[in-house]
Amino acid sequence: MNILEWVRFLLTAVCLLSGLFILVASVLGVYKFDYVLNRMHAAAMGDTLGIMFVLLGLIISAPDVWVIIKLVLVIVFLWVGNPVGSHLIARLEVNTNPVWAQQVRDARQEWEEGQSDGRL
Amino acid sequence: MSKRNRDWGNTLQGRFLRSMRFGCEPLDSLLVQRLDASRDESAVRALEAEDTLRELQQNERVAMARDKQVDFAQDVLEWSQSKGRKVIGRLYALLSIVICVTVIVLLMETVMNMPAFGSPAAPANNEVAARYIEKGMEETGAVNIVAGMILDYRAFDTLGESTVLYIAACAVLILLRIDRQKDGTPTQELIAEEADDRAFEPENDRILQGSAKVLTPIVLLLGIYVILNGHLSPGGGFSGGAIVGAGLILYLNAFGFARASRFFTYKTFTTVSLFSLSFYALAKTYSFYCGANGIPSGIPLGTPGAILSSGLILPLNICVGMVVACTMYVFFCLFRKGGL
Repeated sequence: MNILEWVRFLLTAVCLLSGLFILVASVLGVYKFDYVLNRMHAAAMGDTLGIMFVLLGLIISAPDVWVIIKLVLVIVFLWVGNPVGSHLIARLEVNTNPVWAQQVRDARQEWEEGQSDGRL
Repeated sequence: MSKRNRDWGNTLQGRFLRSMRFGCEPLDSLLVQRLDASRDESAVRALEAEDTLRELQQNERVAMARDKQVDFAQDVLEWSQSKGRKVIGRLYALLSIVICVTVIVLLMETVMNMPAFGSPAAPANNEVAARYIEKGMEETGAVNIVAGMILDYRAFDTLGESTVLYIAACAVLILLRIDRQKDGTPTQELIAEEADDRAFEPENDRILQGSAKVLTPIVLLLGIYVILNGHLSPGGGFSGGAIVGAGLILYLNAFGFARASRFFTYKTFTTVSLFSLSFYALAKTYSFYCGANGIPSGIPLGTPGAILSSGLILPLNICVGMVVACTMYVFFCLFRKGGL
């Protein structure tokens, strides 16, 4: 029993520390990178992987089944929500940046032509 | 023209009257006076020459003063660009350090003089707090003491908070709403805003729509749960209303204004806010009137812990939640497009 407790504590600590490491790395990335998409990538990394590790650590150390269920639901919610948020930021950047605008227009035209031809 | 008269013309009163009558400067009247006094040509010419000389001297003086000013301004500019930047930067740093240290010392001093955390002698631990904790559940029927406090003992305060939210929404409406023309056709500004909105906002985004289809019902359900359980668990009208508002905003972002305006328009906003705030005010007026006069209010408190319990707290939570949700949604719409 004592050994099991120790294993549990160690697993919790490892999960929490790795989660914190990823969060710190993502914060550093947000400040270090210059371009929107790079920064968004760093931020999204922390939002999904880092928070998953932290919550995994909490799940391992949870005293109750209901707490575990709630934490799993939180992970599911974050994993549905955060990538969509990052996707929206990336989409806005691609739509509004003049560097990408022409490529986007070409791709859309190609796609529409393909649809009308029946290729896609 | 007698001498006495001329002297009178040079007095303050005379100058003033002359300036009133002829519309000239009061201080120039000396010249007019002199021209009046000596009508012969040579004297006039001499006076004119004297005046031009004086004018030239004056101009020279003005030009010199201007040059001096320009020189001074340039000196200041150069100083501020080279040496002054360092000096002023150091001054700012010094001042900020002094201000920070002063504030820290003041706050620390305050904290040092406060009673210890949890000390029974602290002014926060008085008979009011003790009564809330001991008799709160019995008197209000709410398991959540905070809900019992803010919606029963101090309900008047919460009414003010909800009204503040409503007034804030009205103010934002006044400032940011883009009006239509009188015959109902959209103005140029509105059309431009719509086009901008369609170009940059994520309408018809399949990823967002797919996730919103899953998340919106869950978010709305969670918000309703938090509102309805306000008297049983942490939460209540404000937090639940914020969650419901977030759900509405998510729906709006995913499916666009056309679909959101099917169930939420200005009319919905006014109706819901009016109904909630007036119901709140009337219900609390009734219970304050009963309480102040010692009449039993006749509202059953129910068994603590049941969902239908604690008298007025549950309907009041619902009212606050509706006001908060509407306010959040209206804020978002107005900041995004200038209209619902």
